[in-house]
Parts: sequence; C-alpha cells; structure tokens
Amino acid sequence: MNLLTDTLGMTEFWANVVIMLIVCTIVFAVFALMSGITSWAERRIAGRMQSRYGCNRVGPQGILQFVADAVKLILKEDLIPDGADRFLYKITPYLCLMGVLATLVVLPLGSRAMMVADLNVGVLYFISITSIVVIGILMAGWSSNNKWSLLGGMRSAAQIVSYEIPVAMSLLTPILIAGSLSVGDLLDSQGWLPWEWTAFQTPFSALAFFVFFIGSLAEGNRTPFDLPEAESELVSGFNTEYSGFRFAVFFMAEYGNVFLIGLSTTALFLGGPNLPGFLQGNPFLSVAVMMLKTIFIMFVVIWLRWTLPRFRIDQLMDLSWKYLLPCALIAFFGQSVFMLVAHQIPAITQITSIVVFIVFLLIMIKFIGRIRTNYKEQSIPVGLN
Amino acid sequence: MTSELKTEHITINMGPQHPSTHGVIRFVIKTDGEIIHECDPDVGYLHRGIEKIAESVTWQGFVPFTDRVDYLASMNANWAYCMAVEEMLGTEVPERAEYIRVIAGELNRISSHLVAIGAADMDMGAITPFVQLLREREYINDLLEMICGARLTYNYYSIGGVNYDLPEGFSIKVMGFLDHFEVAVEQMHRLVTYNQIFINRFANVAAVSPEMAMDYNFVGPNLRGSGVKYDVRRNKPYSIYDKLDFEIPIGTASVGTLGDCYDRYFVRVEEIRESVKILRQCLQQIPEGEIQAKVKNAIKPPVGHKYIRTETPRGDTGYFIYSDGKTSPSRLKIRTGSFTGMSIIPELARNIFIADLVAVIGSLDIVAPELDR
Amino acid sequence: MNAYFNNIKNGIQTVFEGMSISLASFFVHPITIQYPEDDISSAEKLKETYKGQLGPMPENYRGILDVDLSICTACQLCVKACPIDCIVIDAVKCDKSKVQGTKSEKPAVKTRTCTRFDIHMGKCMFCALCTLACPTGAIVHTKVFEMNKYQLQDLVLSFVSEEEKEKAIKRDSELKVEAAAEKAAKAAKEAEKTEEEK
Repeated sequence: MNLLTDTLGMTEFWANVVIMLIVCTIVFAVFALMSGITSWAERRIAGRMQSRYGCNRVGPQGILQFVADAVKLILKEDLIPDGADRFLYKITPYLCLMGVLATLVVLPLGSRAMMVADLNVGVLYFISITSIVVIGILMAGWSSNNKWSLLGGMRSAAQIVSYEIPVAMSLLTPILIAGSLSVGDLLDSQGWLPWEWTAFQTPFSALAFFVFFIGSLAEGNRTPFDLPEAESELVSGFNTEYSGFRFAVFFMAEYGNVFLIGLSTTALFLGGPNLPGFLQGNPFLSVAVMMLKTIFIMFVVIWLRWTLPRFRIDQLMDLSWKYLLPCALIAFFGQSVFMLVAHQIPAITQITSIVVFIVFLLIMIKFIGRIRTNYKEQSIPVGLN
Repeated sequence: MTSELKTEHITINMGPQHPSTHGVIRFVIKTDGEIIHECDPDVGYLHRGIEKIAESVTWQGFVPFTDRVDYLASMNANWAYCMAVEEMLGTEVPERAEYIRVIAGELNRISSHLVAIGAADMDMGAITPFVQLLREREYINDLLEMICGARLTYNYYSIGGVNYDLPEGFSIKVMGFLDHFEVAVEQMHRLVTYNQIFINRFANVAAVSPEMAMDYNFVGPNLRGSGVKYDVRRNKPYSIYDKLDFEIPIGTASVGTLGDCYDRYFVRVEEIRESVKILRQCLQQIPEGEIQAKVKNAIKPPVGHKYIRTETPRGDTGYFIYSDGKTSPSRLKIRTGSFTGMSIIPELARNIFIADLVAVIGSLDIVAPELDR
Repeated sequence: MNAYFNNIKNGIQTVFEGMSISLASFFVHPITIQYPEDDISSAEKLKETYKGQLGPMPENYRGILDVDLSICTACQLCVKACPIDCIVIDAVKCDKSKVQGTKSEKPAVKTRTCTRFDIHMGKCMFCALCTLACPTGAIVHTKVFEMNKYQLQDLVLSFVSEEEKEKAIKRDSELKVEAAAEKAAKAAKEAEKTEEEK
C-alpha cells in the first residue's frame, strides 16, 4: 500500500483498487487451479477405488486432463434451448460461481494474515453467502425450459435451504468456544496439537464437527446428497441443458465447492494453519499445513462420494430435520453446559479434549484394521493368468 | 388467500435415452412434483424381429440369434432353444454335455445377476460396487471365453450337445476363481447391500404381494422375491438339475415388507451363492465322455410343436417352436421374464417418488433387448 | 424410538465398513488392460507389462476368419451353415495342386477350386458355425480382432486373388478343352469301332 501511494503517486482509493484486483486474481487463480486439480484427483481416486486407472493419458499421470477438458468445453457450441429464459440462462453459471467464490473472502488460504478480509461477522457472512448458490441452481433449473432441470432445481432449493439450519446450528459450538464471530478469532482459539482443535475439544464439539461436515456435503451437492444432479434419476439435473463454457463454469463451481468444504472444515474445526509457537506465522509453513489438511478433507469428500449410495428426497429431509438438527442442538446445549462447568473446574477442558482425541484414535485404529482385512480379502488371487 | 393455487401434473419422458432405463425403454410419467401420478411404459425400441428371423434361417443357424435375445445370459438362451429342438427330434444329450451345459449356464447366471445387482446399485448412486461387480464378471467372461472363444455372444450350445469340450485345467481355474469370488462378492455386499442408506432406498418400496405377483405372471427371481417358491429347475427339473443339491431362495421380508425391491434384489444375491454351490458340485461330478450327440447336418424335425421352459436369470424363459418338417422353424415364439416384469410397472409406479421408479426398474432387472426381442 | 437409534447405529456402522472397503480397493492394483501397450495375445506377452488378474486371450478366440485355400474343397458347407449369408464361394473343377503350384508326389487330382471366396466381415457375427461345419478345417477363426477399415468394401475379405482366379479358370477351360478333346477322341474311337464292327 505504501509502495503504491508513495512511489507511484496513486491516491489511496486507486491503490486499494489495485490491491483488490491483485488479491482477487490470486484467490481466483488458486481457486480455479484447485478445482481443476480436484476434478482430476476425483477421477483418479475413483478409478483406483474401482480397480481401474482413471485418466492417465494427457500429461504425466493424466494431470493435464482438466486443461484438455476445459479447452474442449470452451471450443464447444454454446447452445441455448428453445423457449429458455435467455437472460437468466446466460447469467446463472456465473451466479453459481460467484456464490462459491465469494465464500473465499472470509476463509484463510494460510495464516490469519492471509485472509482477504477478516470480517467481524465472518461466520455469518459464510453461512449467508453460500446460499447464493441455491438461487443460481434454481435459476438454472427454471430457465432451461426442461422439466428434469426444473425438478433438479427444486430439489436443490429444498435441500440447501433445509441443510442451512443444521450447519448454522453446528457452527454455534465453535463460536461458543471462540466467543467471536470472526473467522480469525476462531483460528486463534485453536492450537496446533490435534486435541487443541475445535473438533476434539469436547464430545459436543466433535458432534458439531460431524454435523457440520455432513451438512456442508449436502450444501455442496456431493454424494450421498447429490440429488439435484442425480445422474441416474434426473439425467444430471439442473445442468442438463448447459454446454460449452457455461457448463465449464458450473463444473468449476462444483469442484470449487469441494475445495471450499475442505477449507471451511479445516479453518473452523481442524485447527486451520496453526503451527507450534516458535513457527507461528511462518507464511510458507502455514499455507502448507492449511493445504495439507484441506486436501485430506477433500480426499475424504471424494472417498465418501465413491462409497455411498444416494438418499431419496424424503429421506434427505428426514436426515436433516430428524437427525442432524437434534444433534446440532444437543451439541450446542451440551457445549454451553460444559463451558459453565469448565469455568468452575478449568482442568476438565484439557482432560476431556485428550480423552476425545484418544477415543478418536481408537476408532481410527479399528478402522485401519478393517482396511487391512478388506485389503487382504481383495488380494486373493484369481489364477486366470 | 381463499383461492387455491392452480396446480397441474407435468408429463415427463423418462427415456428412451435415460441412464437408468438400462437400454432403450421409454416411460411417459405424469408427476405431481416429485411424486409419480401415472406411469406408462413404452416398449419396442429394440425390436429386431428375432422371432421372424427364425423363420428364414436353419434350425442350427438360429442358435447365434438366441444370443442376441438376452445378451447378459446368452448361454441360458442358447440352452432353452437347443433343448426345445432336441425335444422335437428326440435327441439324447450325452451326460458330459449336460454337465458342461450346467456349468456354462450357471457361470452365465452368476454374471447376469452380477450385472443386475450392480446396475441396481448404480441406479442408487453407488458406482463403485457396480464397477467392482463388473470386474468379477470380467473374470467370468474370461472363463467363458476360454471354453468357447467369445465374451458376450457365446453360441456355445449346439443342438445335441455343446460345440467345444472344456479346455485342460478348466475346473481348477473355475475353482480358483470361485474361492476368490465368494469373498469378493461378500465384501461388495458389505459395501452396499447391507448399507443403511441403500436399505432405506430399497426396503418397503413397491411391494408386490404373492397373489399380485402371480396375477401379473411374474417369473424367476421377481416371483421368488414375493415369497413364492417356484423355480423351473426344481419344480420341472430339466437337464441334470434333479441330481444337484441347491436351495431355492425366496424373499423373506428381512428388512421391509414382503416382495419389496430389497427382497427382489436379495433373492438375486442369494441365487449367486446357490449357483456357486451348483458349480462346485458339477465340477466334482463331471464325467468323461462324448460332448455331442449324433445329429444330422440338415435337421428336419417332425411336424408338430413344442414349448420348453427353462430357468434363465430373468426367470422362466419359454421357447415355443412350431415345425412343419422343413429346414427352418415355421413359427417361433419366445417368452421372456423381462416382459412380464415390465407389465407391472404402471401398477407399481403409482404414488411413489421418481427416485423410487428407478429403484423399481433396477430391482425388476429389466433388460431391453430381451423385452423387445 | 428404538428404530430411530437403530437407524443411526446401523447407518454409522455400515458407512464406516463401506469406507474401509473402498479405501482397501484403493490400494489394490487396477485390473484394466491398457489396450495398445499390453499385448493380450498370449500369457507370456501379457505378463511382461500387465500386473492385474485378468487372463490372456485363449487359443480358441473367435477373431476374424481366415481360410486356408490349399485344403479348401469348395464344398459350400460353410455357406450353408452361415445364418447371415456373409460367405460367397464360386468354384470350378480343376486339378488344384497344379494351379496353386504346390508340389505333390501324387498325380494331380481333379477337385473343385475356388475362383471366389469372399467373406463380408462387416456382416459376420463371429458365431463360428462355419468353422464347425467345415470338414477339412480350412476356415478358421484367427486371434486377430483389429479390423478397422476406412471403407465398407474393405471389410470384404477376398481370399482368392485375381491372378489365382484367372489361373484356375484358365486351367479349368484347358481341362475342359482337354476333356472335350479326349471325349471327341473317345467318340471318334468308338465311332471307328462301331464302323469296324459294321
């Protein structure tokens, strides 16, 4: 800032504009690259889970596949169906992308200093801006003049609106712990050790983490909640009629959403970019830690998609209202009571978090054991060659 | 606020190009939002006139066309037709040939059921089990390729026996495969069949009572899914099935109501296990000997007609043949299981979700080419 | 109430089990045969580059048809067996070994020789009925499965070349001339005989 105003003689306003543009470019570039790489990674991971390779022809290990796909999509004809609402049809993909991109404003790519804006109502902003996507999807469904698309759009509206509630409720727990609505404060309230993360603080915050993760999967239209696009039912739903660049934008928004799920879960529940005291604030390391955790969450999201079948629309609503919402409420009240108790006996906080973490570790050990047995079962030779 | 909102049913075309109709079938559905009000199946997109073709080819020459009737279970279709002609001619099939027929037929039954349950999984959005089950089917294709040289349209059965003998070491390879297969398929069931989301999708959906199943002329696994214990292999044994020890699985309403989608699906799962049992028995008992009875080059069955029923993966498949003593059939009619399954869909698809219609189609295991012939 | 908690319990358990299975298959080697790189024609060649579990192409694989004309007797059995009439055979009668230039100890026997043996691979449905009908094993399925062509007529395999066809027809007419001459000679002889008798 100083550099721009002093040496180049800009007014403060223009210097702000320049900085804004630079930051936007950086964020957008990271976002676009991540969504491209996610689409490649998804195909590779799905391939390996299904005993096949996935895309491995374009570039080393097929990593340039997303570039090839994008080029192909841009070169395709941009069709607008007969009878479509042309204006809405044209702007919808950008609205969807905007909803996803705007969320990145309050989410850190690295340490607290690397946020675009550390709003003091960051969490509220996050909850509200993600709802823009639903308007985009609904508009896409409506404007395509296709009944399948319309059904997809309606499903999506119902789904995202109802999942907003458990997600928002589950976010109350970390807000309670941090005592602030700012994402930066939420990051600061967590330490670098696993049992200092919000997710493992108390059994209640673990429950909230669980609800938040499932809810954000549903908001991101990922399997098992991919009803709006449900390939085998609605012929890919709201984006059936889209082609060419507009489809590419939808595609980017969809995979960007995966990145977003990873980023928000990491920042709000999994300790974000926090490092041990003496390394605190190291920009490279914090970006690395943040990205590592994000990529792990993204892997889990992809992994879930290729494991689970899809819900039916009424079961989806059941899950939201009958299961997740009570869980979120229990987590919120439980956490409040726990904090009251902890106020009297401060030692209890540390003990509970370590116990929760140990329980988590035990579950993981059992899980790894299951993976080993299943792996052994799968590698029984067939003896055909 | 007193005036009511004006609503209307929307008419949607599901198919002929729709990912969950498994081929080209079209459903014209009238829905009230997500709930189907009326469903009208439209068949005939894959009609190739196979029954008419029979009238212009020789008796042996029709065998490869039966492959195309049901491409997922070509062996069984071959079998039904060859049996019908053999009955007309009064040909005795050598014992070894009968054993080989059962082995090939049961392997093909397994591979067909794998596709059936895999496709049902995929319609529910679980793609990994589908691909994994298709991987197991690929091994079966390899085995069948070993005995007849083709992977999909086998043309393995001939009138009076089978075309080729089993290759050397075949039974060891099948045994090795079965050891792998039983474990792998069980794992796939843990991945999807016992999954709570999947159970919720399939249980209590589109239940067919035993009476209704019989009224609608259900056959095969669909009928047994409704709790009716009827299997042509047991009730009217043909070939060597009376010598073999196997169970007839029926729907038990383990998680929902009797005859729902999950029961129909689970009968297929159980049938795979029974087929594995049959295969093990046959491979142990198979005798040495001829594989082909003496049959003339130009077959001319005596004037008359014959109806033969066999148990193919899609149920009771019948071949009706009318011969007027010439070198090709005078009339041939094929009765298939998919067609009867299709006829119940308008009844079942009432007041269910669109997503449930997909489950119903998947659980009925409808194969378009068999439907239209 | 019980069903409610059972639903939760079973849901979590089965999802965890499912996730462990899909992750386990993540580590198993893919079974895809990478088509142009892996050679599936025999077990040894397949093992060089492929590490999956699938088997090689068997010996009796039904690929495109091939005809060994030196043992073909042009008996037309394959034509009759073919349900879709994709084989066409024209034949003349001549001493085949002489026409084809195969050296044989035996004196040339007059047999039928193909002047045209066409198989339309675009129509062929690989049912193997022709190979089963063939009494000499002249028509066989090869292990070749790559048969892409740019023109439809390129899919028609002609096993008798123009040269051979002409040779056979020439030889046939030669033989016919010879036979006619022989016949004429015989007739003349006979006529002489009868005349003498008279």
